[in-house]
Amino acid sequence: MLIHYKCPDCGDDMAFDSESGKLTCGSCGRTDLIEDFSEEFITTRFSDEEAKEYVCNNCGAAVITDADTSATTCSFCGAGVVLADRVSGNLAPDKVIPFQISKEEARNAFKKWCKNGRLTPKGFMSADRIKGITGIYVPFWLYDLHSIADVKAKATKVRTYTRGDYIYTETKYYDVRRKIDLTFNKVPVDASEKMNDDLMDKLEPYDYGSLKDFKTPYLAGYLAEKYNYDNKDLFPRVKSKVSEYIDKHIGSTISGYSSVQYREKHVDTRERKASYVLLPVWMVYYDYDKQEHTFAMNGVNGKVVGKPPLSMGKVAAWFGSIAGATFMMAKIITFIIGGEIW
Amino acid sequence: MNKRILLLTSILSLFLIFSFISPVFADESKQRVYDYADLLTDDEIDRLENLANQHGKKHEIDFIIVTTKDADNKDIFSFVEDFYDEMAFGFDKPNGNAAILALDMSKRDVYIAGFYKGEKYLDNKRVDLIREKMTPDLSSGNYEEAFTTFIETGSRYMQYIPGVNPESFLLQTWFHMIVALGLAALIVGTMAYNSGGKVTVNERTYTGDFKVLQRKDIYLTQNVTKRRKPKNNNSNRGGGGGGVTRGGHSHSGSRGKF
Repeated sequence: MLIHYKCPDCGDDMAFDSESGKLTCGSCGRTDLIEDFSEEFITTRFSDEEAKEYVCNNCGAAVITDADTSATTCSFCGAGVVLADRVSGNLAPDKVIPFQISKEEARNAFKKWCKNGRLTPKGFMSADRIKGITGIYVPFWLYDLHSIADVKAKATKVRTYTRGDYIYTETKYYDVRRKIDLTFNKVPVDASEKMNDDLMDKLEPYDYGSLKDFKTPYLAGYLAEKYNYDNKDLFPRVKSKVSEYIDKHIGSTISGYSSVQYREKHVDTRERKASYVLLPVWMVYYDYDKQEHTFAMNGVNGKVVGKPPLSMGKVAAWFGSIAGATFMMAKIITFIIGGEIW
Repeated sequence: MNKRILLLTSILSLFLIFSFISPVFADESKQRVYDYADLLTDDEIDRLENLANQHGKKHEIDFIIVTTKDADNKDIFSFVEDFYDEMAFGFDKPNGNAAILALDMSKRDVYIAGFYKGEKYLDNKRVDLIREKMTPDLSSGNYEEAFTTFIETGSRYMQYIPGVNPESFLLQTWFHMIVALGLAALIVGTMAYNSGGKVTVNERTYTGDFKVLQRKDIYLTQNVTKRRKPKNNNSNRGGGGGGVTRGGHSHSGSRGKF
């Protein structure tokens, strides 16, 4: 089933507009609130369950997608279409954060980011070879977690004092036990096979204040993916993500000791709730030096991640000037102290 | 034109001020090398006198060298103290700034003392370093080299702010190189590492509630060890190599055998 949004006034294609947060018609400028867009203007057509080829409601051309895509644009007429069978039933997202940065803003923000790169080559900084910039709703699981951590540790307190001609070192040994109840809210883990996990982790945090109940029109005009892994598959990943936070918190409750040595650590983490959400990401494809570099930008706050190329010349210049300046400083201090340089 | 006159007069007045500050006791004819043990030739004595005079002027201190057959049958320490009181050495005034190197050939004792400015700039630690540097030459009988080392090293150490170890690795070029390269590598490495974006979430981002359900801190046992307080060798009085002469002049010092 393909969903396509037709403007009730002029009949042109409508797409989601990140600035107004409304469904907008590019021709006549009509805007509609997504919550009360009339059903009669949504044209749908069913097709086979596992189909990879859909027929565009707008122009009748074949819309070819890969198996994970849930929203795309028709390659012939450019109309934004949503593949309804891939966002319904089991695959229906609970929530969505709509794009808040438009394509133009994303392009400018990326250019600005390139200019700030202190180690990126000059040719890269001009950011004039952006090959493509695509808005994608990336599937994420947001986990609400509950953990019980039970740790046993041996700790010491060391005190030194002087009495007479002797220095005394007093070491006191303690048996420490902590049982801590921890809850975590909405820890995100990306559920798409295509997306690089490290890249997605660095994109956080997303502003959960702008989470909206899922409605298909939000996807109009963007790409969207469906999840490849369900919440059970990804549970180990979220567990390892919070275990670092748990360790930090355990450490903070055992304070005032000179040394702490853990003997037993038992952490039981359970899932309270996992919701399937689509989060907005701008993917920027950039050609530099015959290689394609991929960057991702948080579609809410504009944070850019991705490895830019390094300019060996700039690395050398920074290295040289820091080393040189430090060496000079050391020599100046030596001169002040001793009146000689070498 | 006016500016030039102003400049000239200011340079001239600076000159005058400095000439007043520089002490008047600098006496070319003063004797600084007392070779009672006959270790040096006349030429060597002349050269050493010259060197002592040159370096002494630079730092306003008298470098005194005294060699004895038996230190008047006194301990070298008391000998040096009495010698200083008696001879009233000093660059700025009688019993003033001086550094004395004394040898006792019978007991093969060597002692170096610093008085006033000499005590301040050539403290126990520094005269120790000088003594260690010259001992090999003394042992092998190269007295002129040893005495030259005493004057030149002493003069070099006088340039350093008091309390600083002039031979410290912190002041060495290899150490400066390592620090410079290490710091640059660290900073540039961090910059390169962070160029792809940093993780900006922490444990507070997703935290709901943290509650400690059980907290136990049970004291088990204790264990006390003791060790003797290390002696502080850097103090100028007592302990180390210095002391106060019978005439009431405090000094630093370092003694040893050769």
